[in-house]
Order: sequence, then C-alpha cells, then structure tokens
Amino acid sequence: MAKTYDYLFKLLLIGDSGVGKTCVLFRFSEDAFNTTFISTIGIDFKIRTIDLDNKKVKLQIWDTAGQERFRTITTAYYRGAMGIMLVYDVNNERSFENIKNWIRNIEENASADVEKMLLGNKCDLADRRQVSKQRGEQLAVEYGIKFMETSAKASINVEEAFYTLARDIKAKTEKKLKEASNPTKSGGHALRAPEISRKPPVWLARCSIL
Amino acid sequence: MSQNSMSVVNVASKHELLLFELESTDAGNIGLVIRAIYDGQEHQQFMEKLDDRVKSHDKDIERMCNHHYQGFIDSIRELLQVRSQAQQLNNEVLELDKRIMDTAAGVIAKGEELVKARKVENNMAAAVDSLTMCLPVLAAYAKLQRQMKDKRYYPALKTLEQLEHHDLPKITNYRFSSQITQQISVLRENIKDASMSDLRDFLENIRKYSPKIGEVAMKHTAEQLVNEAEIIGRKKKRQATPQSNILAGDTEEELSAQDLMDFSPVYRCMHIYTVLRESDTFKAYYRQQRKQQARLVLQPPNNMHESIVGYQSYIHGILGFFVVEDHILNTGNGLATRSYLEEVWSMAISKIVNALRTNSAYCTDATLILKIKNLLMLFNTTLRNYGYPVSQLWELLQEIRVHYNEVLMQHWVQVFRDILDEDSFLPIQVSSQAEYDHVLGSFPYHDEALQKAEFPKRFPFSAMVPKVYQQVKEFIYACLKFSEDLNLTQTEVDEMIRKSTNLLLTRTFSGCLSSLFRKPSLALLQVVQIIINTGYLENSTKYLEEFVSNITGTPHEGQLSCGGVQSAMFRVAREDAERQICDKLKRKLDEFLELENYDWNLAEPQGHASSFITDLIAFLQSIFMCFTNLPEEVAQVACKSACSHIAKSIQGILISDDVKQISMGALQQVNLDTIQCEQFAASEPVVGLPEGVLLQYFAELRQLLDLFMSLDWPTYFHDYGHESSKYNLVTPNTALILLEKLRESDKKTVFSVLKKSERDKKKLLETVLKQLRQLAQTTQQ
Repeated sequence: MAKTYDYLFKLLLIGDSGVGKTCVLFRFSEDAFNTTFISTIGIDFKIRTIDLDNKKVKLQIWDTAGQERFRTITTAYYRGAMGIMLVYDVNNERSFENIKNWIRNIEENASADVEKMLLGNKCDLADRRQVSKQRGEQLAVEYGIKFMETSAKASINVEEAFYTLARDIKAKTEKKLKEASNPTKSGGHALRAPEISRKPPVWLARCSIL
Repeated sequence: MSQNSMSVVNVASKHELLLFELESTDAGNIGLVIRAIYDGQEHQQFMEKLDDRVKSHDKDIERMCNHHYQGFIDSIRELLQVRSQAQQLNNEVLELDKRIMDTAAGVIAKGEELVKARKVENNMAAAVDSLTMCLPVLAAYAKLQRQMKDKRYYPALKTLEQLEHHDLPKITNYRFSSQITQQISVLRENIKDASMSDLRDFLENIRKYSPKIGEVAMKHTAEQLVNEAEIIGRKKKRQATPQSNILAGDTEEELSAQDLMDFSPVYRCMHIYTVLRESDTFKAYYRQQRKQQARLVLQPPNNMHESIVGYQSYIHGILGFFVVEDHILNTGNGLATRSYLEEVWSMAISKIVNALRTNSAYCTDATLILKIKNLLMLFNTTLRNYGYPVSQLWELLQEIRVHYNEVLMQHWVQVFRDILDEDSFLPIQVSSQAEYDHVLGSFPYHDEALQKAEFPKRFPFSAMVPKVYQQVKEFIYACLKFSEDLNLTQTEVDEMIRKSTNLLLTRTFSGCLSSLFRKPSLALLQVVQIIINTGYLENSTKYLEEFVSNITGTPHEGQLSCGGVQSAMFRVAREDAERQICDKLKRKLDEFLELENYDWNLAEPQGHASSFITDLIAFLQSIFMCFTNLPEEVAQVACKSACSHIAKSIQGILISDDVKQISMGALQQVNLDTIQCEQFAASEPVVGLPEGVLLQYFAELRQLLDLFMSLDWPTYFHDYGHESSKYNLVTPNTALILLEKLRESDKKTVFSVLKKSERDKKKLLETVLKQLRQLAQTTQQ
C-alpha cells in the first residue's frame, strides 16, 4: 500500500489564552484568518502535509486551550508531542512572562527530547507592542530554542516557523534513525533491513510517543 | 237818258241797288255786280252815279271832319299835358325804384347771410350727430385695446362682441369702422392666441407647482389623519373628562392644496373659447396637453430608487397632477370630464404601479421601504379622498410588503452572521445579579438550580441565544412596522408575521448556521454548543408565539391552528446542527484514520495499539466528555455514528484494494487496535445508551478478526447461513478478499514451504479459498 506520507510529526501549540494559537494554526492549515476570537474548548487538531527534502511530512498539530480550566485535558497531549510551539503575544507582557511557566509545564509533562520553539505572535500591531524582539530572542537563547516573531493576521513567518520546527524534528529523527539502524545492521537481520529503512521514521516516531 | 222819263227813274233805282250791293257785300259779289253793270249798257250812268256817290261821301267826310276838329285839338292839347306828367311820373318812379333798390340790397345781403348761417348750422348738427354715433365705437375700441393690453381677454372679447354686433352696424359708412370691422377677426384671433399663451403659461406653472400641490395635499391628509386620530383619542378621553374643549385644529383652516394655484387662466381661456364657440377644440387641446404632462409626470426620475426624496418628488408630482385635474373636473365646466379623468387615471395607475414596483425592487434598505410604504399610504389616502380608485396601489403595497420582508431577511442574514461571527460559543458566565438579570431580561429562561447557584453562574447556552432571540423579536417588530395602518385584519397580520418569522428562522437563520458549519475554523465543540443553543432557542418558541399573539392581539388559541408550523421555527436549525456534529466528528475521525500507517508485512504485532488509534480514542474521550451537556439523544447519535464510522473504516482498510497483502502479524496489530476501540465502546462514553449497543457496530469486524485469528473455518462453513452462527455477519466475499491477502503475504516467506506443517496449512488454505469462492458465487446468484 502506497503510504501518503514519510513522516508524521505531532506538534503542540501552547501559550496563554488569547495569544493567537488557534489563529496561527488556522493560518498554517487553511491560509486564512478569523478576526473574531473564539476561545478553544479543550483540544483540537489540524493536519497539514508539507514537503521537506522530497519527503512528505504530515504535521498533526494540536491546538490546546490556553485557559486554565482545560489544563488537565491539554497536558495529556504533551507526551505525544515531538515539537512544541510556545506562543506569546508581543502586545501582552503577561503572556510573555508566562512562557516560563509553560516551559516548566513542558519539562514536567513532555518527553525530554521534544523540539521547542518560541513564537512572538501579533507582530503586525507595532503600536501596541509591549515585548521587544530582543527580549524574545534573549529568552529563546536562555532556553536554547529557536525564536520567531509571527503574525497570523498578516501571514508573517507562520509558514517559516512550522517549517523550521518540522525540519529540526526531521533532522533529529533521522539522526536517531541512523544510530538505531547501525546496530541493527550489525545484528545481522539482513532480510528485515530494507523494510525497516522504509518504515522506521514512523516506527521510531511511535517509540518517542510511547 | 233819253228813252223815257219813266225808264230814267228805273235805271236810277237799279244803280242805287247795285251800289248798295257793292258797299255792303263782299268782294265775291263784286264780279256779279260788275257783270250786272256791264250787262246793262248804262255803265256810264252808273259811272256818273258812282261819282255822285263819291262826291256825297266826300261831303260827309268833310262835315264830319268839321264836326270833330275841336275835339281833336283839345285832345292833342290834353295829350301834350299827359306827356309831361308821364315824364314826371317816370322820374318819380325811377327815384322810387332806386330807393327800393337800395333798401332791398341790404335785405338781400342779410338774407344771403342768413341762408349761409342756416346751412352751417345744419351741417354742424349733422356732424354732431355723426360724431355721437361714432364715439361709442371708438370708445369701445379704445376699451378693447386697453383690455387687450391689460390681458383682460374675456372682457375684451365681450367688448369686441358688443362692438361687432351693436356698435359697428350703425356706422358702416366710415372708413375707420370698416377698418375696425376688418380687424375684428384679427383681434379675435389675437385674443385667442393671447389667452392660449396664458393657458400655456398656466400649464407650465402647473407643472412647476403640482409637486408642491401634491406635497401640500399629502400634508393635509397627514394632518387630517392625525386629527382624526386625535379626535378618536379625545373622544375616548372625553368619556373620562367631559370638559375637554373643542379642537383647536378646526379653527385654523389652511388653504386647500388646489388653492395654491391660480386657475383663472384656465377658466378665462375656457370662457373665451366657449364664447368663440371653439370650446371643443379647447377641451381637446387642454386634455391633450394634460395627458402629455401626465406622461412626463409619470416618468419616474432615474435615480428614484436611491432615496426617499426621489419617491417623494415623483409621488408629489403625480398627486399634484391629479389634484389639479380633480379641481378642474369640479370647477372647469366640463373641461375635464369624469371619463377623461378615468382614462388618464387608469393609464397613470398602471404606470405608477410599474414604476414603483421596479424601483422599490431595487431597494435593499428596509427603512427606505418603510418610508416608501408610509409615502404610499399617504398617497393612497389622499387619492382616495379625491375620489380616485386605488386598489392597484394596495396590491402594490402588498407586493412591497413581500419585498420588504425579503429585504428584512437579507438584513437579518447579516445580523445573524454578525451574531454568529461574534459568538465565542462558550456558555455565558455571569458574575453579578445585574448581569444575570440582564440575560434573563433578554431571553426567557428559568432554571431553579441556576437561580440558586452561587455567582459566577453559568448559563448552559452561549451569548448568541439571547441575541438571536432578541433579533427575532426585532424582526417581528420590523415586520409589524410595515403592516401598521395597512388595514389588515389582526389575523392577517398574525399570519403574515408567523409566516415571515418561520421563513426567517427556517431559511435565513438556518442558512447562516449552515454557512457557519462550512467554516473550517469551527471546531467540533463549538458545534456542540450550537446544538445546545438551538435547543434552548427551540424551547423559547412558545414565548415567541406569545409575543406575536400579544402584539397582534390575536387570541392565544389562534396559535393552535398553525402550531405545527410554529414548532418548525428553530427545529430546522437544530436538526441541521445535529447533522453537522456527526459530519464534523466523522471528518475529524477521517483525519486520524488517514494517519493509519500499518506495516502489512509485520511479522509480530507491536504488543500495543497503533498510535493513531490511541490518539483517536483519547481525542474521542475528551470530545465525549464535553458532550455531556449535549442533549442525550444528540450525543448518543454522534457517538453511534462515530463508532460505526471507525468500525467501517478499519474494515475498509483491511479489504481495501490498495492493500495487496496482509501478514498475520499485521492482522494481529489490527486486532489489537480494534480491541482498543471496543474497549472505548464498552466504556460508556455517553450516558443513556443500552449496554452493547456501541459494541454492536464493531460486531462484524470482530467476527471477521476472530475468524481469522482462530482460523475457525469448519465452524464458519458449518454454521454458514444460520442466524445463530458465530460468524453470521462475515460474508464469504469479505472473508475471501482477506484470505487472499493473507495468502499473498504467506507466499513471501519462502522458508515456510520446507516445513510439513506449513505445507499442510497451505493446503488447508487453498481448500478454504475454494469453498469460499463457491459460497461467494452462490450468494451472488
């Protein structure tokens, strides 16, 4: 059976309520923007297939509710995530300060090797900015993660952010795969080898979830 | 002498006789005498005798002379005397004559003078007479000229008449009179032309003023209506307070609309033409002109549909026209006849209706339509007051009403869209009594538990519910606005409102909802909230009905007749929403199922469920957790459809043409996944479903997997066709497809052929395949 994809990456969007997680995702999945604020209830996801180095990569992106009352539902999804987007609103100081708490959440609930990225959303509204780009960059450096300022409304950097995260996960996955496949080869199950090389990303991906 | 003495005496006597004869007789006898003398020879004698005779006569003469001589002398003397006297007399006479002559000359001169004077006198008298005769003519003529100059054509015409028939015949022999006579016809033409040009001015003016007339007429009607309303109002009041005074409005009588215009040119012109016996021409001309004007007036302005001003000027123009015609009809001495007016009106009414219909159809602004309606109402009333039949306009109003409702619905599409766009689809949360009361004030909702609950309280529905409810009310009000003073019965209004409201909710609101459902941004849980919302809205239907009954005043029982229709108000929306939840859920599940990534050559199962299945089940669990506030049936239906969809999809994957081979290991992995799903189905994800109902959806898949896990072919064939069979849901066809895939996979394992048990197994497989094929064929037949 012809597979519709080569890799499946599960990504998670977290951040305070109202920073625009759903809009970022909506921009990425539908290339559209919705001005009205509809608070996400519990959890939802979107799937988009992208092309990375001639590989079909399916991104299943989980959009979590930022509100505290959904925390129990949303944290359950941390473990399965291979990449996490931390989103704050550049016009909202508090949402930026809360990134620390979200990082702690990740450390507590997600797998250790999860790829993270920091997004300062709503960068199109220059006159209301409360958090400078430098501060965002600095925070990202502190945690050793990548950083981008985005705007779902003006469609700035949204694609780039997801592609970057996906590329990093892919690189990490392939590296792991190499490490994993080498001992297998030496192990002498020659017959299974091609099979494994065809399938492993997913297989491994599953491992990381579980 | 000798002969005898006696003979001598005879002869002497005879001569004497002859002589006598001679002397006494005349010359004729002379011959005879002579003859007688000659005959007698005695002529000598006779001669002597004759001589004697002469001598005797001489002697007589002598004596005589002697005798008269003295007398003669005296006479001469006297005569001489007379001569001198005569001379004297003559002188005297001459003198006298001279004197007379002198005297007479003076007399004659005087006399002549007198004659002359008399002549002059006569002439003067004659001249005076003539002048007296001519003066009135001239005076009349002058008057005529003056009247002409003053444009008083009718008196001018009268003067002309007088001149022609009364004055002029008396003085025909004057040049000027003949000139005037000649001029009369010219003058008459002039008067005609002049009055006609006056009429033209009038027609021009009337065209200019008729909108104003129309406006005033409508204003009066409006005032009258207000007055009537006041009178009715006051009458009612008067019963309570009898001392109320007489209406003040009655005293101040304003000018009526037609008084704005000076109609005298028309009357004058009409008079003039009547006098000229050309009233028919005139009437024809007038009517033709007015018809042309009517045509112009009836031409709606190009941009009429843009604003009420356009409609107003159009309506005013028309109304003005017909008010004027009505006035002419009443006062114009047959200038306008009833039939003429009816003809013009019937031509007009169809054009008006057409123009208004076309223009109002463009209109998408409800307020403008209302304004148009009010304008038309007033137009109607005014026209009716003037006695024009307006039934077509009523019909038009009905049409406009339908259009108005359409426009309203169009408008409410936007309203609903905005409400839905704005809504967060989160339950309303209130933190104070005021907020709580505010929500309850806009939406009828009673819940004891909520009443008692601590703040912050949470309503089960989201903000759209009270908003939509309010908007429906607004819509009903808006509908009602149009039917005001439309003289509809309450039942008609009631029916109209119910119909429109139904249409609004079943078509407009539902349309908005379904376009909302199409939005990819709408999450599943928002659909859940929408379902909950529509449920509450549906419950509010009876309050809406009450509301309608209250404002239309129809008795409450009236709703029973159309109760069946009523309940549809929000039902369509709710049903649609419920359908949507299943669809959305299925679509979400499909997204998971697309992540399916089975390795169909798997030798051994992983020992745990595939990740997409665990994700899917986790997702479903969180979703159904939120379904707890859905109406049970909806949640049940959604859950059933989800389970059925999953089972069908997994089975679909197994027998899909895309999958050519399936290893036992892979099948075991599918089995593992299915078990996960079955566990979920058994875990009672939604309340109220009888046990095993959800599992039922997995039954076919379960039987199929069981059959292949245990390879229990004898039982399958043995019990085939029995209701009680363990595998009664597995069709030979499905089994055949799956078995062939297993065989395909087995072929790859080259080494297995070497083992005897494997060979036996293979043989068995072939036999089973054969039997299955036969069975499949028989079932197909």
